Amino acid sequence: MKNPSRPLSPHVQVYRPQLTSVLSFSHRLSGLFLSLGAVLLVAWLLAAVTEAHAFVAINGWLGSPLGLLLLFVWTLALFFHLCNGIRHLLWDAVLGFELKSIYLSGWIVVFSSVGLTLVTWALALWQAG
Amino acid sequence: MLIKSSDELPRRTLIKRFPVPSNAQVPKEHRIQPGRSWPIPEGAKRLKRLQIYRYAPESGEPPRIDTFAIDRDTCGPMLLDALIKIKDEIDPTLTFRRSCREGVCGSCAMNIDGTNWLACIRGLDELDEPATIYPLNNLGVVRDLVGDQRHAFAQYAAIQPWLQAEAPEDGKEHRQTPEQRQALDGYYECILCFCCTSGCPSHWWNGDRFLGPAVLLQAWRFLADSRDQATGERLDELEDPFRLYRCHTILNCTRTCPKGLNPGKAIAEIKRKMIARQS
Repeated sequence: MKNPSRPLSPHVQVYRPQLTSVLSFSHRLSGLFLSLGAVLLVAWLLAAVTEAHAFVAINGWLGSPLGLLLLFVWTLALFFHLCNGIRHLLWDAVLGFELKSIYLSGWIVVFSSVGLTLVTWALALWQAG
Repeated sequence: MLIKSSDELPRRTLIKRFPVPSNAQVPKEHRIQPGRSWPIPEGAKRLKRLQIYRYAPESGEPPRIDTFAIDRDTCGPMLLDALIKIKDEIDPTLTFRRSCREGVCGSCAMNIDGTNWLACIRGLDELDEPATIYPLNNLGVVRDLVGDQRHAFAQYAAIQPWLQAEAPEDGKEHRQTPEQRQALDGYYECILCFCCTSGCPSHWWNGDRFLGPAVLLQAWRFLADSRDQATGERLDELEDPFRLYRCHTILNCTRTCPKGLNPGKAIAEIKRKMIARQS
Protein backbone atom coordinates (compact mmCIF):
# COMPACT_ATOMS: atom_id res chain seq x y z
CA MET A 1 0.00 0.00 0.00
CA LYS A 2 0.99 3.63 0.35
CA ASN A 3 4.60 4.11 1.21
CA PRO A 4 5.89 7.57 0.40
CA SER A 5 9.33 6.32 -0.59
CA ARG A 6 7.94 3.95 -3.21
CA PRO A 7 5.85 4.84 -6.25
CA LEU A 8 2.34 3.40 -6.17
CA SER A 9 1.67 1.25 -9.22
CA PRO A 10 -0.97 2.95 -11.39
CA HIS A 11 -4.56 1.71 -11.07
CA VAL A 12 -7.44 3.74 -12.49
CA GLN A 13 -4.93 5.39 -14.84
CA VAL A 14 -4.13 2.09 -16.61
CA TYR A 15 -6.96 -0.36 -15.84
CA ARG A 16 -9.09 -1.10 -18.89
CA PRO A 17 -12.70 0.13 -18.68
CA GLN A 18 -15.05 -2.86 -18.68
CA LEU A 19 -18.83 -3.19 -18.53
CA THR A 20 -18.51 -4.12 -14.84
CA SER A 21 -16.65 -0.99 -13.74
CA VAL A 22 -18.26 1.40 -16.25
CA LEU A 23 -21.79 0.52 -15.10
CA SER A 24 -20.76 0.76 -11.44
CA PHE A 25 -19.23 4.22 -11.91
CA SER A 26 -22.29 5.24 -13.96
CA HIS A 27 -24.58 4.06 -11.16
CA ARG A 28 -22.84 6.36 -8.73
CA LEU A 29 -22.71 9.30 -11.18
CA SER A 30 -26.39 8.93 -12.09
CA GLY A 31 -27.27 8.83 -8.38
CA LEU A 32 -25.32 12.05 -7.83
CA PHE A 33 -26.99 13.68 -10.83
CA LEU A 34 -30.44 12.54 -9.64
CA SER A 35 -29.92 14.15 -6.22
CA LEU A 36 -29.24 17.45 -8.03
CA GLY A 37 -32.46 16.82 -9.94
CA ALA A 38 -34.30 16.30 -6.66
CA VAL A 39 -33.26 19.82 -5.59
CA LEU A 40 -34.65 21.20 -8.84
CA LEU A 41 -37.88 19.22 -8.38
CA VAL A 42 -38.34 20.73 -4.92
CA ALA A 43 -37.63 24.23 -6.26
CA TRP A 44 -40.16 23.68 -9.07
CA LEU A 45 -42.88 22.47 -6.67
CA LEU A 46 -42.10 25.25 -4.19
CA ALA A 47 -42.38 27.85 -6.95
CA ALA A 48 -45.66 26.31 -8.13
CA VAL A 49 -47.32 26.83 -4.74
CA THR A 50 -45.78 30.20 -3.84
CA GLU A 51 -44.49 32.45 -6.60
CA ALA A 52 -46.36 32.46 -9.91
CA HIS A 53 -43.69 34.46 -11.77
CA ALA A 54 -40.89 32.21 -10.42
CA PHE A 55 -42.86 29.18 -11.63
CA VAL A 56 -43.18 30.74 -15.08
CA ALA A 57 -39.47 31.52 -15.09
CA ILE A 58 -38.48 27.95 -14.14
CA ASN A 59 -40.83 26.50 -16.73
CA GLY A 60 -39.40 28.82 -19.34
CA TRP A 61 -35.88 27.77 -18.47
CA LEU A 62 -36.81 24.06 -18.53
CA GLY A 63 -38.38 24.56 -21.96
CA SER A 64 -35.17 26.05 -23.38
CA PRO A 65 -32.79 23.79 -25.33
CA LEU A 66 -30.42 23.51 -22.35
CA GLY A 67 -33.34 22.78 -19.98
CA LEU A 68 -34.71 20.11 -22.30
CA LEU A 69 -31.25 18.52 -22.63
CA LEU A 70 -30.87 18.44 -18.84
CA LEU A 71 -34.34 16.93 -18.44
CA PHE A 72 -33.47 14.29 -21.05
CA VAL A 73 -30.27 13.36 -19.22
CA TRP A 74 -32.22 13.30 -15.92
CA THR A 75 -34.72 10.88 -17.45
CA LEU A 76 -31.89 8.66 -18.66
CA ALA A 77 -30.20 8.83 -15.24
CA LEU A 78 -33.49 7.92 -13.55
CA PHE A 79 -34.16 4.87 -15.71
CA PHE A 80 -30.54 3.74 -15.59
CA HIS A 81 -30.42 4.03 -11.81
CA LEU A 82 -33.75 2.20 -11.53
CA CYS A 83 -32.78 -0.67 -13.84
CA ASN A 84 -29.29 -1.07 -12.41
CA GLY A 85 -30.79 -0.84 -8.91
CA ILE A 86 -32.96 -3.87 -9.68
CA ARG A 87 -29.79 -5.64 -10.88
CA HIS A 88 -28.17 -4.83 -7.53
CA LEU A 89 -31.22 -6.15 -5.64
CA LEU A 90 -30.89 -9.47 -7.49
CA TRP A 91 -27.21 -9.59 -6.58
CA ASP A 92 -28.10 -8.96 -2.93
CA ALA A 93 -30.18 -12.13 -3.17
CA VAL A 94 -27.04 -13.87 -4.58
CA LEU A 95 -28.67 -14.25 -8.01
CA GLY A 96 -27.04 -13.75 -11.40
CA PHE A 97 -23.39 -13.94 -10.42
CA GLU A 98 -22.13 -16.11 -13.27
CA LEU A 99 -19.96 -13.97 -15.53
CA LYS A 100 -22.35 -14.55 -18.44
CA SER A 101 -25.30 -13.34 -16.32
CA ILE A 102 -23.33 -10.32 -15.11
CA TYR A 103 -22.70 -9.24 -18.70
CA LEU A 104 -26.18 -10.15 -19.95
CA SER A 105 -27.92 -8.21 -17.14
CA GLY A 106 -25.50 -5.32 -17.72
CA TRP A 107 -26.44 -5.01 -21.37
CA ILE A 108 -30.13 -5.44 -20.54
CA VAL A 109 -29.79 -2.46 -18.15
CA VAL A 110 -28.05 -0.37 -20.83
CA PHE A 111 -30.60 -1.08 -23.56
CA SER A 112 -33.71 -0.95 -21.37
CA SER A 113 -32.75 2.36 -19.75
CA VAL A 114 -32.10 3.94 -23.15
CA GLY A 115 -35.32 2.40 -24.52
CA LEU A 116 -37.46 3.56 -21.58
CA THR A 117 -36.02 7.08 -21.89
CA LEU A 118 -36.83 7.26 -25.60
CA VAL A 119 -40.36 5.90 -25.08
CA THR A 120 -40.99 8.38 -22.26
CA TRP A 121 -39.85 11.31 -24.36
CA ALA A 122 -41.78 10.13 -27.41
CA LEU A 123 -44.94 9.95 -25.27
CA ALA A 124 -44.22 13.35 -23.67
CA LEU A 125 -43.62 15.06 -27.01
CA TRP A 126 -46.70 13.36 -28.51
CA GLN A 127 -48.80 14.57 -25.56
CA ALA A 128 -47.39 18.08 -25.94
CA GLY A 129 -48.53 17.88 -29.55
CA MET B 1 -19.96 -8.14 -26.05
CA LEU B 2 -21.10 -11.00 -23.81
CA ILE B 3 -18.25 -12.35 -21.75
CA LYS B 4 -18.79 -15.96 -20.69
CA SER B 5 -15.57 -16.72 -18.86
CA SER B 6 -12.79 -14.64 -17.38
CA ASP B 7 -10.16 -15.87 -19.87
CA GLU B 8 -12.00 -14.17 -22.76
CA LEU B 9 -10.28 -11.05 -24.02
CA PRO B 10 -12.33 -7.91 -24.61
CA ARG B 11 -13.35 -8.06 -28.26
CA ARG B 12 -13.97 -4.38 -28.71
CA THR B 13 -13.19 -1.50 -26.40
CA LEU B 14 -14.43 2.02 -27.00
CA ILE B 15 -11.78 3.49 -24.73
CA LYS B 16 -8.67 1.75 -23.47
CA ARG B 17 -8.25 3.96 -20.41
CA PHE B 18 -10.59 5.91 -18.21
CA PRO B 19 -10.48 9.63 -19.05
CA VAL B 20 -8.58 10.59 -15.90
CA PRO B 21 -5.33 12.56 -15.71
CA SER B 22 -2.56 9.96 -15.67
CA ASN B 23 -0.68 11.78 -12.91
CA ALA B 24 -3.61 12.59 -10.63
CA GLN B 25 -2.42 12.55 -7.02
CA VAL B 26 0.98 11.23 -8.06
CA PRO B 27 3.93 13.06 -6.43
CA LYS B 28 6.29 14.64 -8.92
CA GLU B 29 9.17 12.24 -8.29
CA HIS B 30 6.94 9.23 -9.03
CA ARG B 31 5.39 10.38 -12.32
CA ILE B 32 5.93 7.89 -15.11
CA GLN B 33 8.38 9.12 -17.76
CA PRO B 34 8.97 7.86 -21.29
CA GLY B 35 11.82 5.33 -21.11
CA ARG B 36 14.28 3.91 -23.59
CA SER B 37 13.59 1.82 -26.69
CA TRP B 38 15.78 -1.26 -26.67
CA PRO B 39 17.35 -2.44 -29.98
CA ILE B 40 15.13 -4.45 -32.32
CA PRO B 41 16.54 -7.98 -32.88
CA GLU B 42 18.17 -8.26 -36.29
CA GLY B 43 16.54 -10.38 -38.98
CA ALA B 44 13.39 -10.96 -36.98
CA LYS B 45 10.37 -11.82 -39.13
CA ARG B 46 7.72 -11.84 -36.40
CA LEU B 47 8.30 -8.95 -34.02
CA LYS B 48 6.44 -8.48 -30.77
CA ARG B 49 6.81 -5.18 -28.99
CA LEU B 50 6.29 -4.90 -25.24
CA GLN B 51 6.03 -1.66 -23.30
CA ILE B 52 7.06 -2.46 -19.76
CA TYR B 53 6.91 -0.41 -16.56
CA ARG B 54 10.37 0.00 -15.07
CA TYR B 55 11.43 1.33 -11.70
CA ALA B 56 14.74 1.04 -9.91
CA PRO B 57 14.69 2.52 -6.41
CA GLU B 58 18.46 3.08 -6.14
CA SER B 59 18.59 5.10 -9.39
CA GLY B 60 16.74 8.02 -7.80
CA GLU B 61 14.84 8.35 -11.09
CA PRO B 62 11.07 8.22 -11.55
CA PRO B 63 9.39 5.14 -13.07
CA ARG B 64 9.55 4.86 -16.87
CA ILE B 65 8.04 2.83 -19.69
CA ASP B 66 10.66 0.91 -21.73
CA THR B 67 9.89 -0.58 -25.12
CA PHE B 68 11.34 -4.00 -25.89
CA ALA B 69 11.06 -5.95 -29.14
CA ILE B 70 11.46 -9.70 -29.36
CA ASP B 71 11.61 -12.18 -32.23
CA ARG B 72 8.64 -14.50 -31.81
CA ASP B 73 10.30 -17.21 -33.91
CA THR B 74 12.90 -17.70 -31.19
CA CYS B 75 10.57 -17.21 -28.22
CA GLY B 76 8.15 -19.45 -26.36
CA PRO B 77 4.42 -18.86 -26.80
CA MET B 78 3.58 -17.11 -23.53
CA LEU B 79 4.16 -13.62 -22.16
CA LEU B 80 6.28 -15.10 -19.37
CA ASP B 81 8.52 -16.71 -22.02
CA ALA B 82 9.00 -13.26 -23.55
CA LEU B 83 9.83 -11.68 -20.17
CA ILE B 84 12.39 -14.42 -19.43
CA LYS B 85 13.85 -13.97 -22.91
CA ILE B 86 14.21 -10.22 -22.34
CA LYS B 87 15.92 -10.88 -18.99
CA ASP B 88 18.23 -13.48 -20.58
CA GLU B 89 19.16 -11.69 -23.78
CA ILE B 90 18.36 -7.98 -23.63
CA ASP B 91 18.24 -6.52 -20.12
CA PRO B 92 19.22 -8.75 -17.18
CA THR B 93 17.98 -6.13 -14.71
CA LEU B 94 14.31 -6.61 -15.70
CA THR B 95 12.70 -7.83 -12.51
CA PHE B 96 9.51 -9.86 -12.08
CA ARG B 97 8.20 -12.72 -9.95
CA ARG B 98 7.67 -16.13 -11.49
CA SER B 99 7.76 -19.74 -10.44
CA CYS B 100 5.53 -22.52 -11.75
CA ARG B 101 4.96 -21.21 -15.33
CA GLU B 102 1.62 -23.03 -15.51
CA GLY B 103 -0.94 -20.85 -13.73
CA VAL B 104 -0.74 -22.61 -10.37
CA CYS B 105 1.46 -20.46 -8.15
CA GLY B 106 0.13 -16.97 -8.91
CA SER B 107 3.57 -15.32 -8.76
CA CYS B 108 3.59 -13.72 -12.22
CA ALA B 109 0.32 -11.80 -11.81
CA MET B 110 0.59 -8.43 -13.53
CA ASN B 111 -1.45 -5.82 -15.35
CA ILE B 112 -1.39 -6.95 -18.99
CA ASP B 113 -2.99 -4.66 -21.60
CA GLY B 114 -5.02 -3.06 -18.83
CA THR B 115 -6.37 -6.13 -17.02
CA ASN B 116 -4.82 -8.39 -14.44
CA TRP B 117 -3.77 -11.89 -15.42
CA LEU B 118 -0.90 -14.33 -15.03
CA ALA B 119 1.93 -13.79 -17.52
CA CYS B 120 2.51 -17.56 -17.82
CA ILE B 121 -0.99 -18.31 -19.14
CA ARG B 122 -1.39 -15.28 -21.40
CA GLY B 123 -0.29 -16.06 -24.98
CA LEU B 124 1.80 -13.54 -26.89
CA ASP B 125 -0.67 -13.69 -29.77
CA GLU B 126 -3.43 -12.60 -27.37
CA LEU B 127 -1.68 -9.30 -26.66
CA ASP B 128 -2.11 -5.84 -28.13
CA GLU B 129 0.64 -4.51 -30.41
CA PRO B 130 2.49 -3.08 -28.64
CA ALA B 131 1.49 -4.81 -25.41
CA THR B 132 1.55 -2.79 -22.19
CA ILE B 133 2.76 -4.45 -19.01
CA TYR B 134 2.42 -2.84 -15.58
CA PRO B 135 2.84 -4.31 -12.09
CA LEU B 136 -0.34 -5.28 -10.23
CA ASN B 137 -2.26 -2.10 -9.44
CA ASN B 138 -2.22 -0.07 -6.26
CA LEU B 139 0.89 -1.60 -4.70
CA GLY B 140 4.11 0.08 -3.65
CA VAL B 141 6.60 -0.83 -6.37
CA VAL B 142 9.69 -2.62 -5.08
CA ARG B 143 11.30 -2.85 -8.52
CA ASP B 144 9.93 -3.05 -12.08
CA LEU B 145 7.00 -5.50 -12.03
CA VAL B 146 7.39 -6.52 -8.38
CA GLY B 147 4.83 -4.97 -6.06
CA ASP B 148 4.94 -4.91 -2.27
CA GLN B 149 2.24 -7.37 -1.13
CA ARG B 150 2.82 -7.13 2.62
CA HIS B 151 -0.44 -5.24 3.14
CA ALA B 152 -2.38 -7.82 1.09
CA PHE B 153 -0.98 -10.70 3.14
CA ALA B 154 -1.55 -8.82 6.41
CA GLN B 155 -5.22 -8.49 5.40
CA TYR B 156 -5.23 -12.22 4.58
CA ALA B 157 -3.83 -13.03 8.03
CA ALA B 158 -6.50 -10.80 9.61
CA ILE B 159 -9.31 -13.19 8.61
CA GLN B 160 -7.51 -16.11 10.31
CA PRO B 161 -7.41 -18.35 7.25
CA TRP B 162 -7.26 -21.69 9.00
CA LEU B 163 -9.81 -24.22 10.20
CA GLN B 164 -10.99 -23.41 13.73
CA ALA B 165 -12.66 -26.39 15.36
CA GLU B 166 -12.59 -28.50 18.49
CA ALA B 167 -10.91 -31.86 18.08
CA PRO B 168 -13.37 -34.44 16.69
CA GLU B 169 -14.90 -36.84 19.21
CA ASP B 170 -13.22 -39.91 17.78
CA GLY B 171 -9.88 -38.08 17.93
CA LYS B 172 -9.28 -38.83 14.27
CA GLU B 173 -10.83 -36.56 11.65
CA HIS B 174 -13.64 -34.15 10.84
CA ARG B 175 -16.11 -35.90 8.57
CA GLN B 176 -17.88 -34.20 5.70
CA THR B 177 -20.61 -35.39 3.37
CA PRO B 178 -19.91 -34.99 -0.37
CA GLU B 179 -22.46 -32.14 -0.40
CA GLN B 180 -20.70 -30.33 2.45
CA ARG B 181 -17.40 -30.73 0.64
CA GLN B 182 -18.98 -29.41 -2.55
CA ALA B 183 -19.85 -26.14 -0.78
CA LEU B 184 -16.13 -25.28 -0.96
CA ASP B 185 -15.85 -25.76 -4.72
CA GLY B 186 -15.02 -22.51 -6.47
CA TYR B 187 -13.55 -21.06 -3.27
CA TYR B 188 -10.74 -23.34 -2.12
CA GLU B 189 -8.94 -23.11 -5.51
CA CYS B 190 -7.81 -19.50 -4.97
CA ILE B 191 -4.03 -19.17 -5.50
CA LEU B 192 -3.72 -15.72 -3.85
CA CYS B 193 -2.33 -13.99 -6.92
CA PHE B 194 -4.29 -10.84 -5.92
CA CYS B 195 -5.30 -10.08 -9.52
CA CYS B 196 -8.84 -9.39 -8.22
CA THR B 197 -7.93 -7.21 -5.24
CA SER B 198 -5.55 -5.16 -7.40
CA GLY B 199 -8.26 -4.68 -10.02
CA CYS B 200 -10.95 -3.63 -7.52
CA PRO B 201 -11.77 0.13 -7.68
CA SER B 202 -13.15 0.00 -4.13
CA HIS B 203 -9.82 -1.38 -2.93
CA TRP B 204 -7.99 1.39 -4.82
CA TRP B 205 -9.87 4.06 -2.86
CA ASN B 206 -10.25 2.28 0.52
CA GLY B 207 -7.67 -0.50 0.47
CA ASP B 208 -6.31 0.49 3.87
CA ARG B 209 -9.50 -0.77 5.55
CA PHE B 210 -11.51 -2.67 2.91
CA LEU B 211 -10.29 -6.27 2.82
CA GLY B 212 -10.72 -6.70 -0.94
CA PRO B 213 -12.09 -9.59 -3.01
CA ALA B 214 -9.22 -12.09 -2.60
CA VAL B 215 -9.28 -11.98 1.19
CA LEU B 216 -13.09 -11.95 1.40
CA LEU B 217 -13.26 -14.99 -0.87
CA GLN B 218 -10.93 -16.72 1.57
CA ALA B 219 -13.15 -15.57 4.44
CA TRP B 220 -16.14 -17.19 2.74
CA ARG B 221 -14.12 -20.36 2.12
CA PHE B 222 -13.94 -20.86 5.92
CA LEU B 223 -17.48 -19.62 6.58
CA ALA B 224 -18.75 -22.18 4.06
CA ASP B 225 -16.76 -25.03 5.60
CA SER B 226 -19.02 -27.39 7.57
CA ARG B 227 -16.07 -28.32 9.82
CA ASP B 228 -15.31 -24.77 10.93
CA GLN B 229 -16.82 -23.76 14.29
CA ALA B 230 -15.84 -20.07 14.42
CA THR B 231 -18.58 -18.76 12.12
CA GLY B 232 -19.94 -16.26 14.66
CA GLU B 233 -16.55 -14.79 15.51
CA ARG B 234 -15.62 -14.62 11.82
CA LEU B 235 -18.80 -12.71 11.00
CA ASP B 236 -18.26 -10.38 13.99
CA GLU B 237 -14.82 -9.49 12.62
CA LEU B 238 -16.22 -8.80 9.15
CA GLU B 239 -19.25 -6.76 10.26
CA ASP B 240 -17.78 -3.36 9.55
CA PRO B 241 -18.63 -0.55 7.15
CA PHE B 242 -15.22 -0.91 5.56
CA ARG B 243 -13.87 -4.47 5.92
CA LEU B 244 -16.83 -6.08 4.13
CA TYR B 245 -19.29 -3.41 3.09
CA ARG B 246 -16.97 -1.33 0.92
CA CYS B 247 -17.71 -3.98 -1.70
CA HIS B 248 -20.12 -2.25 -4.09
CA THR B 249 -20.51 -5.28 -6.36
CA ILE B 250 -18.47 -3.73 -9.16
CA LEU B 251 -17.39 -7.26 -10.14
CA ASN B 252 -14.06 -6.44 -11.77
CA CYS B 253 -12.88 -9.29 -9.52
CA THR B 254 -15.00 -11.99 -11.16
CA ARG B 255 -14.08 -10.60 -14.61
CA THR B 256 -10.34 -10.85 -13.97
CA CYS B 257 -9.82 -14.05 -11.90
CA PRO B 258 -7.26 -16.21 -13.77
CA LYS B 259 -8.65 -19.31 -12.06
CA GLY B 260 -12.22 -18.52 -13.12
CA LEU B 261 -13.41 -18.17 -9.52
CA ASN B 262 -16.15 -15.80 -8.36
CA PRO B 263 -15.04 -13.48 -5.51
CA GLY B 264 -18.08 -11.26 -6.13
CA LYS B 265 -20.42 -14.15 -5.41
CA ALA B 266 -18.44 -15.16 -2.31
CA ILE B 267 -18.83 -11.63 -0.91
CA ALA B 268 -22.57 -11.65 -1.66
CA GLU B 269 -22.79 -14.96 0.25
CA ILE B 270 -21.08 -13.34 3.26
CA LYS B 271 -23.46 -10.36 3.12
CA ARG B 272 -26.46 -12.72 2.97
CA LYS B 273 -25.16 -14.74 5.91
CA MET B 274 -24.70 -11.50 7.84
CA ILE B 275 -28.38 -10.59 7.23
CA ALA B 276 -29.58 -14.13 7.96
CA ARG B 277 -28.07 -14.19 11.43
CA GLN B 278 -29.83 -10.91 12.35
CA SER B 279 -33.30 -12.26 11.63
